[in-house]
Amino acid sequence: MVNVKRYTVVRNLVFGWLTVILLAGFLLNFPKINILEHTARNLYFHVPMWFTMMAAAFVSGYHSWKVLQTGDPLRDIRALQAARVGTFFGILGITTGIIWSRFTWYVGTDVWWNFDPRQIMVSIQLLIYGGYFVLRSALDEPGKRAKISAVFNLFAMTALPFLLYVIPRQMESLHPGAEGNPAFSQITHPVMRLVFYPAIIGFVGLFWVLYTQRVRVAWLKYRVTQDSEM
Amino acid sequence: MLLMFVLSSLFLIALAVGQEPISEPLKSALLWVVIMFSAAIGLGRSFIAEQERGTVLLLQLNVRGSQVLAGKLIFNFILLTAVDLVGLGMFSFLLDLQIEHLSLMLVVLTLGSIGLAGATTLLSAIIARASNKGPLLPVLLFPMLIPLLLSVVRAASEALEGGMGWSGVQTELATITAFGGVVLTASFLLFEYVWTE
Amino acid sequence: MTKSIVALFQNASQVAVTDSAATGTVSTAYDSLWTGADIPTQAPSALEQVMLSDEKIFVVLAVVLIIWIGVILLILRTDRHLTRVERSVAENIPDADDGL
Repeated sequence: MVNVKRYTVVRNLVFGWLTVILLAGFLLNFPKINILEHTARNLYFHVPMWFTMMAAAFVSGYHSWKVLQTGDPLRDIRALQAARVGTFFGILGITTGIIWSRFTWYVGTDVWWNFDPRQIMVSIQLLIYGGYFVLRSALDEPGKRAKISAVFNLFAMTALPFLLYVIPRQMESLHPGAEGNPAFSQITHPVMRLVFYPAIIGFVGLFWVLYTQRVRVAWLKYRVTQDSEM
Repeated sequence: MLLMFVLSSLFLIALAVGQEPISEPLKSALLWVVIMFSAAIGLGRSFIAEQERGTVLLLQLNVRGSQVLAGKLIFNFILLTAVDLVGLGMFSFLLDLQIEHLSLMLVVLTLGSIGLAGATTLLSAIIARASNKGPLLPVLLFPMLIPLLLSVVRAASEALEGGMGWSGVQTELATITAFGGVVLTASFLLFEYVWTE
Repeated sequence: MTKSIVALFQNASQVAVTDSAATGTVSTAYDSLWTGADIPTQAPSALEQVMLSDEKIFVVLAVVLIIWIGVILLILRTDRHLTRVERSVAENIPDADDGL
């Protein structure tokens, strides 16, 4: 069961926290860099999407593992909802990334999509979750659905470390830390890092709130209709 | 049947490419795309056939899950090796392939096939449980294979071009081997849950 | 209206015009029309002119808006599911009607 009291406390904290992040993101000043100018502020909003999606993937994988061990339907609901909200943050991350790069590095070229490693990795993760949802809809018996889709979720996750290792070696990237690019700490002003790390915490918190909200609804639905899909 | 699929798809590619000379990376990419599509089409039925003939229960009662998986894996690997060899042979015949490092090419094909067989076998056990199979296997399989595909295509094109040979593709070979190892380990850990469910 | 919003941002954040910011202002590609035609950059489109104005603050605005709209859509979807559950609760447990 979901601890509703804890949920309420964390929800209020996250909303307050993110409000402060939003204000700090726009009001705190830092030296401008060529080309980037104000768009450097996107660091606080675009990059945490990526972290949040990874966090969601781990939450989903953890609960899939628990499904295999216990067969608990609540674990299945948690794994599914973490994947759903993770997909949502992945879509946000890729959309905001496209907007940012289009008007910063690709001005005057009409390039919307480029094969940046991060873009590819998010796309693959989204495809894997697409497969996960399709697989769930193709399994009709609930207990079987929970276990088989948990196996797929865990199996597909084994490919992730290779994505992190292989793809950045083969392609150029706009992201810091890639080959030939400056490290993250070299191009960010201390002020930016002061906002950036709390922003990650804030957005992961937002994931937790949205995810728990959906788990509550899905669990209620399961208790009424014995159907864990949502 | 699978070999006929390889032959006809290669013939299709050869005709589509026509007389235009194509670069080595592109040849290597085409070869691997054919191999991966063959795997998705040919190996997807390994567990479904078992279900249709009604032999699943017999196996479940008499044989341990890991042994079933090992048997399927070995069979699929041998099948894929045949696909590799036929594919490579027909490719060099139709598209005038000059293989500079034949040994490297064979190693890449073998190691790549291990990872490919590992991923395909477990996923085909998964889809055998689904009611609406359709094109489910490629949907589940292809996203997972992308890291493997990138490495094997690079390694194979290195084997075609010559260049630095073995020393030029060390990281790729390491990645392909690690991918195979991780996928096989995960298969054996997870197969029991699919099999006994 | 939009100008005033941006002015508000700039006043509030006391934008320091450093050297890099001064050189970093976007130069339009109109110069290239006379120098040569084979330069890949095109004249900025209307969309770009908006997005690149005021030191590209609108790019940040677009990103934040996308996230905000996304969160709204997700909450609306969750809400729709909740409505359906409430309806099936009313169907399955007749007495629960007044409780909700």
